[in-house]
Amino acid sequence: MIQPPAIEIQQVSHKYKSASENTLTDISLDIFESDVFGLLGPNGAGKTTLISILCGIIPHSFGGVNFYDRGKEVSDTERRSLIGFVPQEYAFYHELTARQNLDYFGAMYNLKKTDLVERREELLEVLGLTKAADKAVGTFSGGMKRRVNLAIGIIHKPGILFLDEPTVGVDVQSKNAIIRYLQQLNQAGTTIVYTSHHMSEAEEFCNRIALIDHGKVIAHGGLTELKTENKVGDLQSLFIKLTGEAYRD
Amino acid sequence: MFKVYASVKKELLLLINDKVGLALMFLMPLLLVFIITIIQDSVYKVVNENKIPLLVMNSDKGELGKKLTDVLTSSGLFEIDGVAGADAGILKEELLARGKMIALHIPPTFSAGLESNAGDVSRILMKDLGLEYDSTSVETVNIPAITFYSDPVLQENYTYSVMGVIQSYLSVIENSLMIDNMYAEMDLGDKSGILKERMIDNRVKINKVVATNNKSMAVPNSTQHNVPAWTIFAMFFMVVSLGSNIVKERVNGSFLRLKTMPSSFMLVMFGKMSVYLAVAVLQVILTFSMGIWILPLLGLPRLTLPGNLPAFVSVIFMSSMAAVSYALMIGSIARTQEQANGFGAVSIIIFGAIGGILVPTFVMPSYMQLVSNFSPLHWCLEGFYILFLKGGSWTELWGVFVFLGIFILICQLCTYFKLRIEKIL
Repeated sequence: MIQPPAIEIQQVSHKYKSASENTLTDISLDIFESDVFGLLGPNGAGKTTLISILCGIIPHSFGGVNFYDRGKEVSDTERRSLIGFVPQEYAFYHELTARQNLDYFGAMYNLKKTDLVERREELLEVLGLTKAADKAVGTFSGGMKRRVNLAIGIIHKPGILFLDEPTVGVDVQSKNAIIRYLQQLNQAGTTIVYTSHHMSEAEEFCNRIALIDHGKVIAHGGLTELKTENKVGDLQSLFIKLTGEAYRD
Repeated sequence: MFKVYASVKKELLLLINDKVGLALMFLMPLLLVFIITIIQDSVYKVVNENKIPLLVMNSDKGELGKKLTDVLTSSGLFEIDGVAGADAGILKEELLARGKMIALHIPPTFSAGLESNAGDVSRILMKDLGLEYDSTSVETVNIPAITFYSDPVLQENYTYSVMGVIQSYLSVIENSLMIDNMYAEMDLGDKSGILKERMIDNRVKINKVVATNNKSMAVPNSTQHNVPAWTIFAMFFMVVSLGSNIVKERVNGSFLRLKTMPSSFMLVMFGKMSVYLAVAVLQVILTFSMGIWILPLLGLPRLTLPGNLPAFVSVIFMSSMAAVSYALMIGSIARTQEQANGFGAVSIIIFGAIGGILVPTFVMPSYMQLVSNFSPLHWCLEGFYILFLKGGSWTELWGVFVFLGIFILICQLCTYFKLRIEKIL
């Protein structure tokens, strides 16, 4: 059965005003519903820029991006309710408690108070934050902060979830908890677009990937097919083969 | 509505967690009003209510030195403390040792000099009138100079005021002496008394009227000046709390995260503005309450609120909006919290200084008075002064509203464009 697309990216290019060259050039990708789509590439490849464009944070200079909800194209306003965004930074209020953060961002996602309270407690429980829920988030460990960051992005049960390096700088336990929960979300129908530098994690988590380097897609498709085509045994080897071993500073 | 509630609640929670910001916004103005009012009130009392302590060393060999001392004593303005001896150097030491601030040395030739001068004047007059006068040669004594010592900490204008008072009593003595001499030359004996009385009693009187509109019952005093002035200063100090709050949200990505959500960013700004407007109003209520109820308990003048309540509320609103808008602008321009706090605080102190919060603008040089027009704090203060001290009306407030309106607009536009540049809006 052919999966319907969740996101169509058509020849998207982007150039920052201060840059001499395009950060992204002619990116065309289809991301399907229920995909766990890995946007992979070395530092400075353009992954975060592409996620920022997809989330509507920055406008693209050329090309088009379309979002679909069960096959029906959605407007810009509908897109904001459809997507969830978990940035690389701890983008929340460190002075507030986990509950207070979730209450605020949940309200900004248009959740009704009763639904919000129910969802908030569910997430705190699932992500192991209930005991610390009334402490200021600034006092949390790195792993706990990552889980709060994730909880905020998924509090409204988004159809499409963008994750920009969601497990960077956390211990194995927190990483496993985060990935496990993301897999559950995906099985429940959430499309996930994910960036990471952890190749083993990406290999375990993603079903499709796009390798981006110097702002261009150098390979994309099913993970298994790409490994077979390039005659490599794992994702890390594929990554090195296609992007080289030179430093990217 | 739930979103508005959530936004306001979030800002309130952030504010409650900002202990330093709260202290700066609420404790600082109370302390400043309390301390500065007490200090300035004592200065007011020295000038207006208390007798001026004055050390006098009378070395005069005649009667007029004593007469001057008696006149100064009977004026009720001075509390005279005599110093024995003839060495004026001792007087300086005594002045500093006794903490009297002012001292007067009457020289040994004081009477002789004045009498000699009065004799000369009466002889000139008699000669000009073609009347007979005693033309026998008399020894001329130069007009004496009394020496006025003052503590170096005393303000120059205060010193000149006291010297002016002493000079006016000296004139009375000199004039009286001249009249006595002229009457004696004309052999009119003691008939000069009526003339002297008339000359002293029928001098042009100066009626002191404080320039307020007739509706105002407020008398300018340290409370009426300081309570509004330091309240405005504290209002603008919200830049430290609100400014750094915005920088944090910009830098940590919260603003960008909000941009991906189905909510208008204006809601975020509305939450901030409404909470900090409430903070400014609360600052006014607290400090003004202190002026009304606490300061009188300490023997300080009571704050009298202006009669025009709608105008008063409007001035509070415009001042609060100016403070909030300035904080938003600094928060959107600064790259780090340190920049927002440092530049914000220093800029408010500079605005306060040039705006007449620390020193009234009327004592500044003319070019600084011109510069003060560029301080928003000056216009806020002007608004309060028009109402508090002049009993002003709406028509007198239009300049205040126009300037503050322009200032608010500029700050809001700067904030808008900076956030647009950063793709947050």
